[in-house]
Amino acid sequence: MGDLIHNLSIGFGVAMSLQNLMYCFFGVLLGTLIGVLPGIGPVATIAMLLPVTFNLSPISALIMLAGIYYGAQYGGSTTAILVNLPGESSSVITCLDGYQMARNGRAGPALAIAAMGSFFAGCVATVIIALFAPPLAEVALKFGPAEYFSLMVLGLVGATVLAHGSLVKAIAMTILGLLLGLIGTDVNSGIARFSFGLSELSDGIGFVIVAMGVFGFAEIVTNLEQGESRDVFVNKVTGLMPTWKDLKSSSGAVLRGTALGSMLGILPGGGALLSSFAAYTLEKKIGDTSMFGKGEIRGVAAPEAANNAGAQTSFIPLLTLGIPSNPVMALMIGAMMIQGIAPGPQVMTERPELFWGMIASMWIGNLMLVILNLPLIGMWVKLLTVPYRLLYPSILLFCCVGVYSLSNQPFDVMLTALFGLLGYVFVKLECEPAPLILGFILGPLMEENLRRAMLLSRGDATVFVTKPISGVLLGIALTLLLITLAPAVRKTREEAFVE
Amino acid sequence: MQIKNGKDFWAGLMFIGFGLAFVLIARNYPMGSAVRMGPAYFPTVLGGMLAVLGAMVFFRAFVSKFNEPLKVFLFRPLLLVGSAVVGAGTYFAESQLKGAPMVQAALAGVSLLLFFGSFGPRSMFLVLLSVVIFGYALKPLGLVLSTVILIALSAVGGHDFRKKEIVILTVVMVLFGVLVFVKGLGLPFNLWPGE
Repeated sequence: MGDLIHNLSIGFGVAMSLQNLMYCFFGVLLGTLIGVLPGIGPVATIAMLLPVTFNLSPISALIMLAGIYYGAQYGGSTTAILVNLPGESSSVITCLDGYQMARNGRAGPALAIAAMGSFFAGCVATVIIALFAPPLAEVALKFGPAEYFSLMVLGLVGATVLAHGSLVKAIAMTILGLLLGLIGTDVNSGIARFSFGLSELSDGIGFVIVAMGVFGFAEIVTNLEQGESRDVFVNKVTGLMPTWKDLKSSSGAVLRGTALGSMLGILPGGGALLSSFAAYTLEKKIGDTSMFGKGEIRGVAAPEAANNAGAQTSFIPLLTLGIPSNPVMALMIGAMMIQGIAPGPQVMTERPELFWGMIASMWIGNLMLVILNLPLIGMWVKLLTVPYRLLYPSILLFCCVGVYSLSNQPFDVMLTALFGLLGYVFVKLECEPAPLILGFILGPLMEENLRRAMLLSRGDATVFVTKPISGVLLGIALTLLLITLAPAVRKTREEAFVE
Repeated sequence: MQIKNGKDFWAGLMFIGFGLAFVLIARNYPMGSAVRMGPAYFPTVLGGMLAVLGAMVFFRAFVSKFNEPLKVFLFRPLLLVGSAVVGAGTYFAESQLKGAPMVQAALAGVSLLLFFGSFGPRSMFLVLLSVVIFGYALKPLGLVLSTVILIALSAVGGHDFRKKEIVILTVVMVLFGVLVFVKGLGLPFNLWPGE
């Protein structure tokens, strides 16, 4: 306990410096600003704003990025409630009851309860990270290449199982992602693989390029094709404060959502999406369920608390193991690498100020979200009334400048456009891109660990099963796959995603 | 045999194509052994897996219980063939074109343009084209002109193009870009051509 307080005080010392407070504030503000725009989820927001952090010190950059993430998440909920347009799958659930509340003229309380529920969940999740990250990192230090490889397999299987639609397609997308990640110079032999003799490809494809193309550009293109149909409830945002009855009925939901979200966020492949789905399903089984789907405040409070808790605890596998569990964390890993930090258990011991500073700033970021969003809600609502035909050229400019400034190469921008085209094809063919991006970031890591493990075992592939930790991890992965294939689960999974 | 699910049909073909391409290209690199894996080992295994999964998706298209039309999105095969021909020509004639880098670049550009044009709706072509032009114009033309091109060209791709609005939007975004990106964030862009 003394350790915990000591560590947190280091963290708050770093995070409370005027400079870092400012970056945290700007991160939350910018994140909400972009995240509120319809059709832009956290992944696209972070990818777009990444260049803003290039010139900062590593700690400030990470603090700002975390702020952007929470801001984007919250901005997405605002859009979900007011426009019924989820920016990303994790706010799909919020649409169900949130939008109904807005239609009943109760948009204000819905937005307020979302903010308060998120803040409470954020506080709890921060403590959980501070408590559980250090022991987990200690375990991780004992990991060899075989364990790492199996862990990555588990993470990829997790992402696959949670993807929408067909399981086979999701696995194929993961493998395609792994393969795309291998493009570029092979570390062991120095051969530039799959580069077609192009010097621009010899360093590999930047993950921002893939993410921006597949998530950002593809989104814009599909939106344009579908045409505009939005119904904004702007004039009805009047009273912000929820009634006493609202608070009473939603407090239990927030608690349950937080607990569920914190647990599910840690799982590989988990995070915000799974958490909000699970919390909503749980809430629908408890107490009076007659109002669900018609504007039940619990149906907003629980998933919002859960997705924020999950969003935050999904930092645990990243910070302790260096393994991203979802696309947002994959982006964070990329951002850390750009800053010259190799994510993993050593970060905590070698750079304590960075690790604990970031954790402290998570709490501060959540506090800022509440302070910022309740008074500024009017401004976000105004932003929602800007027609898409004016928004998308501006978004394109942001994306292009972001990609170009990665390494000042026109080729990168062209490549992003190509991935945009590919992303459009994926959408049309119902191939979920999230597993692809996760595979993309893990590709080189996985190959490296596979090579090392095989070298150490002198070519004996059974090490992955005979080493206890590795064997257990692979066992869990296999079980997950088998469970998903079981007919009963398969059916509910399909229903859950249809809903 | 009847194709019942167009989406699975094309997705299967796409995965098979990608998988085989990676396997074939990897043949140029040393394979190594299971103990000392060469650069070709992992991609070959993965590419093979991808092709097999692709085949599963492909065959599922014939027994699917969903009925999805074969025509999933606009596809212009002629443009794709043209793109492939020009692209392959440029690639294999590299030694002859060594002396003329401009010609080579132009040919590659044409091939790319045809490729972008062969899928999807007109709006996508215009949006992605504006992006590519922005990328290549930023250095020679400067931020101001490239922003004008990007905004104007991508706006034409929308449903509802209103001239006056776009002019105002362009001015606002140019100002924003100059103030925020160059003055504020200090990104190293020149504002005008030849600066």
